Amino acid sequence: MPRIVRDADVSWEGNLARGTGALTAATSHAFESLAYSLATRIAAAPEGKTSPEELLAAAHGGCFTMSLAGELTGAGTPPGRLDVHCRITMDEVEGRGHLIVHSALGVRARVTGIDDAQFEAVVEKAHQGCSFSSLLRDAGVGIDITTTLEGGD
Amino acid sequence: MATDRNAKVTWAGSLLEGSGTIEGVGSGAFGPLDVTWSSRAEAPDGRTSPEELIAAAWASCFSMALSHALAGAGTPPERLETSVTVTFQPGEGIIKGAIEVVGTVPGLDHDGFVAQAESAKTNCPVSMALTGVPEVTVDATLAA
Repeated sequence: MPRIVRDADVSWEGNLARGTGALTAATSHAFESLAYSLATRIAAAPEGKTSPEELLAAAHGGCFTMSLAGELTGAGTPPGRLDVHCRITMDEVEGRGHLIVHSALGVRARVTGIDDAQFEAVVEKAHQGCSFSSLLRDAGVGIDITTTLEGGD
Repeated sequence: MATDRNAKVTWAGSLLEGSGTIEGVGSGAFGPLDVTWSSRAEAPDGRTSPEELIAAAWASCFSMALSHALAGAGTPPERLETSVTVTFQPGEGIIKGAIEVVGTVPGLDHDGFVAQAESAKTNCPVSMALTGVPEVTVDATLAA
């Protein structure tokens, strides 16, 4: 399969504390000129502005979801529906500065013809196969996955 | 203090024929955004993908780190224009991240700007989470 290339553009004006940036999905243009700033990146309330960590949450959630759909399909039990929540945590680590320290994935799946043990095994395979999970593991980022399996119809 | 950020994704059906949606993010800044395997792996048709979102996270994090380092060195930037290209090889994973930055930085020469860009490439939190990417490059130039 050929390589897949995706681009994003950011413009930033000013220093870190008072400057502001705007970011655009430059390949798809699915989103454009989203504003972000340091204050809204680290505040408990983001005031409607995205951040690198939120984009990572969307990326990891999206990557893991596709990986799980692929593994369930390969096991002969394609999903009726998957609902995946991803929470990325950044923290200040003594001596190392700010790091992405954790990603928590919450999975609710509606799949017919699979039991809990089989589902857990497929989730683990999806986690091993998700390219973004692999990178986070390589970097020492903690990942935990909680699952709820609902019988499909 | 730890900072948490959230996203919610749904998917229906198989990987190749099914489709998904990034329903939304905690800030409400974007979404819902549709995602499919074909738009991830082939022509995007206006749909984002995990790799594009990683590129956006990386570009935004790198720009902040570079701005911070430049200001700390006494040469705050007027403007930084950053593009990040993420390359994904199915079966292998993300094999490359290429950062390009054009800066307007009064009082700083080319070599000084390149050195700060190299440092931001290594030290920004997203770069630190992506140390497993085999090739990461930065191409830094000052605006004419």
